[in-house]
Amino acid sequence: MHEAVLGATQFSVQINFLSPLINGIANGAAYGLLGLGLVLLYKSNRIFNFAQGEFATVGAIVTYVFYSGTGVLPKLPFFVAVPIGLLASVGIALLTERLVIRPMFNRAKVILVVGTVGVALLLIGVEGLLPYPKTQSLPTISDVLKVQPFIGRVDGIPILYQDLAKLAMLVVLAVGAFYFFRYTRTGTAILAVSQDATAARVVGISVERISLISWGIAGLLGGVAGVLLAVPPQGTVTPGAFTGTTLTVAFAAAVLGGMTSLPGAFVGGLSLGLIEAFANVDASFVPGLNHVHSGQAELAVFAVLLAVLLFRPRGLLGSET
Amino acid sequence: MAVQTEALMTTTVTNRRPGPSRLAARAVAAAPLVAVLFLLPLKSDTFGHVAAYAAIFVMVGLSMNVLTGYTGQISLGHQAFVGLGALTAANVVSTGVTPADPFTFAIGMLTAAAAAGAAALLLGAVALRIRGLYLALVTLVFGSVFADAIFTLPSLNGHEAGVSAYRPTFISSEYRYYLFALAMVAICYYIDVRVRKSKVGRGLVALRDNELVAAAFGVDVLRYKLLGFTISGAMAGLAGGVFAFWSQEFSDKDFTAIAGFNLALTFVVVVVVGGLANRGGVMGAGAFFALVSPISPLLQWVADKTHWGTYYGNNKFYIANVIGAVLLLQTVILNPGGLGQVIRPFARWFAGHPFTLHDPDGDAGVGAMEGSSVRA
Amino acid sequence: MSVLEVRDLTIKFGGLTAIDGLNLRVDEWEIVGLMGPNGAGKTTAFNCITGFYKPTHGTVYYRDREVTKLPPHRKAALGIGRTFQNVGMVKSETALENLLTAQHTRAGYGSLQAIAGVSTVRQREKELTAHAEAILDLLGLADIRDRRIGALPYGTLKLLELGCALATDPDVLLLDEPSSGMGPEESDQLGERLLNLRQELGVTMLLIEHHVPLVTAVCDYVYVLNFGKLLAEGDPDHVRNHPEVVAAYLGGEAPDALAQTETPEDEPPADEIAPADAPVQRKSAARAPRKATGATKKAPAKKTPAKRAAARKEAS
Repeated sequence: MHEAVLGATQFSVQINFLSPLINGIANGAAYGLLGLGLVLLYKSNRIFNFAQGEFATVGAIVTYVFYSGTGVLPKLPFFVAVPIGLLASVGIALLTERLVIRPMFNRAKVILVVGTVGVALLLIGVEGLLPYPKTQSLPTISDVLKVQPFIGRVDGIPILYQDLAKLAMLVVLAVGAFYFFRYTRTGTAILAVSQDATAARVVGISVERISLISWGIAGLLGGVAGVLLAVPPQGTVTPGAFTGTTLTVAFAAAVLGGMTSLPGAFVGGLSLGLIEAFANVDASFVPGLNHVHSGQAELAVFAVLLAVLLFRPRGLLGSET
Repeated sequence: MAVQTEALMTTTVTNRRPGPSRLAARAVAAAPLVAVLFLLPLKSDTFGHVAAYAAIFVMVGLSMNVLTGYTGQISLGHQAFVGLGALTAANVVSTGVTPADPFTFAIGMLTAAAAAGAAALLLGAVALRIRGLYLALVTLVFGSVFADAIFTLPSLNGHEAGVSAYRPTFISSEYRYYLFALAMVAICYYIDVRVRKSKVGRGLVALRDNELVAAAFGVDVLRYKLLGFTISGAMAGLAGGVFAFWSQEFSDKDFTAIAGFNLALTFVVVVVVGGLANRGGVMGAGAFFALVSPISPLLQWVADKTHWGTYYGNNKFYIANVIGAVLLLQTVILNPGGLGQVIRPFARWFAGHPFTLHDPDGDAGVGAMEGSSVRA
Repeated sequence: MSVLEVRDLTIKFGGLTAIDGLNLRVDEWEIVGLMGPNGAGKTTAFNCITGFYKPTHGTVYYRDREVTKLPPHRKAALGIGRTFQNVGMVKSETALENLLTAQHTRAGYGSLQAIAGVSTVRQREKELTAHAEAILDLLGLADIRDRRIGALPYGTLKLLELGCALATDPDVLLLDEPSSGMGPEESDQLGERLLNLRQELGVTMLLIEHHVPLVTAVCDYVYVLNFGKLLAEGDPDHVRNHPEVVAAYLGGEAPDALAQTETPEDEPPADEIAPADAPVQRKSAARAPRKATGATKKAPAKKTPAKRAAARKEAS
C-alpha cells in the first residue's frame, strides 16, 4: 500500500496534469465544433462529409478578407465580417448539395463520400488560387473586445477567453441542435427523411428541401467552427487549414461520441482532446526516443477509434441503429 | 457432365485473331504510344525523371485497382504503404554515399513489397470487422498515424535528415531508371492480369458484389479480403521502393501530415477517375495525375512557354488540386465509368474486337463500388 | 445413409424464435420439398444448413458428419450447393464469368500459382471454361454466354443461378424458390430439368417451392413449416391435402369443404401423414415408402455415391 502511494506521487511529479487538461479541453472544443457538422450530416444524410473542414476554412477566410479589407474589399468591423463569412460557408454548403449531392441522391453512400472528398480538394485548390495573405489569423475574441486575452491563471497557465468562447459556443450549438432535432418540425422532418426517405415523401415532406436545409445548417456550423478556430497561436486562414489532421480527429471524436448524437459530438470532442493531450507525455522510456514523439497523440486517436468501432460501434451516446 | 464438356470443346473455339491488315492498322495506332513511352523520356533528364514518376503512380494505380476495383475496399491511407515501401527499401539498402550494389538493391525492393504487404494485411484484418464508411475513416486515420508515428522515428528517417538511396550504377541515369520503373510496372501489370483472369480475381469481385454469394460459391471471404489487401499493399510497397531510389532518398516529409493526406487523396482520385476495376483506365489516370502533380515539372514547362511560369510556380499545389478535384467530381457525377469507360472502345478494338462505340457490356466503373460490401 | 439431416434445429433472433426444433432428412437421390407460408422460416432453415446462420441449438449432418458450425464456403466445398431467394450471382459479371466463379473450389490451383501464372493455371482455366459452357448448353443458355447478368430477365437469372449452383459441383443442392419469376410452362420445364439433373448427375435436392404443381411433379417427400415449426411431412399429395397445411396457407381453420373436395378418392392412411408432434419413431415408419415413391418418379441415377466421390476427387 505504501509503495503504491509513493508510486502515485512520483507519477504526479513527473507529468504536469493541469497543462494537458487545459490544452486538451481547448483542442477538444475545436474537434467538437467540427464534429457537430459531421454528426448533423450523418444524422440527416447518412454520409461522412469530408468537406466539413473546408466549410470552416471558407468561413474563416471570407471573414478575414472583409475584416482586414484585403484588396478592393471594404474593411468591415469584426461583427459585420463574421455574418458575411458564415453566409459564405452556408452558400458553399448549399452549392455542394445542389451540384454534387443532389445529382447522386440514389447512388451508394461511398460514392457520395468520394464526392465530398472532391469538394474538399476543389475548395482547397480554389482558396489557394485566390489572392489573399494566407498565413494570417483572425482576431481572438479578446482582441476584438480589447481586453486582456485570459480571464486568469490556474497554476501559472492562462485560461484564454477564446477557449472559453469555443467551449460555450460548442455547448450552445450542441444543445441547440439537439433541441432542434427533437422539438422543431424541420428537425423531426430531417430525421424522418434519414430513416425512410420514401415514407417521408408519402407524408408530404419534401426530401429535396430537407436535404438542402440540413446541408445549409452543416455549412453554418462549419463556418462558426472556422471563425472560432482560425485564431492565434495555431489557427490560420491557410487553404485547407481544417482539413487533414483536424478533420480526421474530429471524425474520430464524432465516432467516439456516437455518429448519431449531437451531444455526443461535444462529449467525444472533449474526450479526444483530452486523450490526445495526455498521450503526449515524455516518451523517453521507449528506446530510441528522447522526447515527445509526434505520432503519439495520433496513435492514441487511432486506438480509440478502433476500440470504439470494434467494441461499441454506437459510441458513447449514439443510438442503436 | 464430362461427356457434354468434351462435345462442347470443339464448338466453342472462336477465332478472334485479326488478319494481317488489321494487325498493321493496330501497329500504326500503337506507334505513337510506343514513341511517347520510349522516345520522349529520352529527350532530357527532366523528361526521364518525370516519366519515372509517372510509372510509380501507375503502379500505385494498379495497387488501388486491386483493392478498390476488385476487392471493393476503399483506402484513404494508401500513402502509408507507399511510404513504408520507400522507408524499407532505403533502410535495407542503406547506401550512404555510394551507389547500391544490384543484389542488395533487389533485396531492398523485395522487402519493400513484403513489409507493405504485411502492413496492408494488418489493415485488412481491421476491414474484416469494420465496413463501409467507417472503414474509409479507419483507413484515413491508419494512413496518417502510420506515417506520423513510424516514418518519423529518428532511427528510421535518418534522424530527420533523410535516408539516402543512391541507385545502382547500371540504372543510375534518369532514362535507365525510367526503364527499370517500367519493368516494375510490367510486373504489377502482369500480377493484375493474372489476378483478374484466375479464380483469385473472380473470388475478389464476387465478394465485392455480394459476400453471401461469394461464400455460397465456395470463396473463403475472410481469406480473400486479406489476400486483396496484401496484394495491393505489396504493389504499393514496390512502388514506394521505386520511389525511394527515384528521389534518391527517403524523407518522411513526403508522406506525413498534409503531404501524405494529399497523396492519399490523389490515389483515390486516380482509381475513381481511371474507372474502378478498369486496369487501362487506372493506369492512364495514374500517369496523368503524376504528370500534373506539383512535383512534376511538366506543367511548369508548359507554363513557362505561355508566360504563366511565375503564377504557376507560386500556385502549383493548388492547380494540381483543382484539376484533380474537377476530374473527380466530373467522374462521380457524370461519368461513373471513368477514363476506362471512355477508352474502352479503343481498348476493345486493340484486343481484336471490331471497333464499336456502342458496348452493351461496358465496365462497371464506379458502379463497382455500389456493390453490397462497400455500401454503408 | 442420409445425405443431409437436421436434428432439433432452433434459431432465435433476439426474442423471436425463427425455427423451433426442426427435424428433417434428405436421403440419397431424393428431391425433398420444403413448403410453408411466407415467414415460416424456410429460408432461415436454408441459411442454417448452409452455414450462413449459426443455429442457437441443434445439429446439421452431411453424410453422417456433423457440419453445424462449418462456415459457408467450407460447406460449399464439401458439396452442399445452394441458390438464393432473390438470385444470388455476381451482378457485374457475365454469365460465363459467374459460372467460372462458381467453380471456385474445383479450380485445382492455389492463389499463389494463379498470381504467378504457371501453365497449369492456364490449362485448368480452359477446362473450367469448357465446363461452364457445357452447363450453359445444358440449360439452353448458350446465347447469353457473354452478357452481363444485370440486364437479364428474372426467369433467365433463376435458371442461370441453378447453373451456377451446379457449377459448384454439388452433391446436395438447396434451391430457394427455383421457379419464381417463371410462367407455368417454364415451371413445368424446370420440373423436367430437375428430374433430369437428378437422373444424369445424381444430385440430391432440397427445395423451397410455392408452386404446388412443381412440388407434386418432382418431390418425393415434403416438409411443411409454419411459424418455425414443422406442421406436416409426407408424400406431396398427402401433405397438400393435410387440413392443417391448407389452414396454414389460407389462414384460420381448415375449411371443411375445401379439404373434402381436394381429397383424392383413395384417402391416405392416417399414419402416412406425420404431424410434427407425432412421436419420433413414427417418422421412420412414414419414411419407409419414400424410396418406393422416389423410384416411381424416375429411376435412380447411375452414379453411386462411391463413384461420385471418386469423380469429385478427380475434379479437384
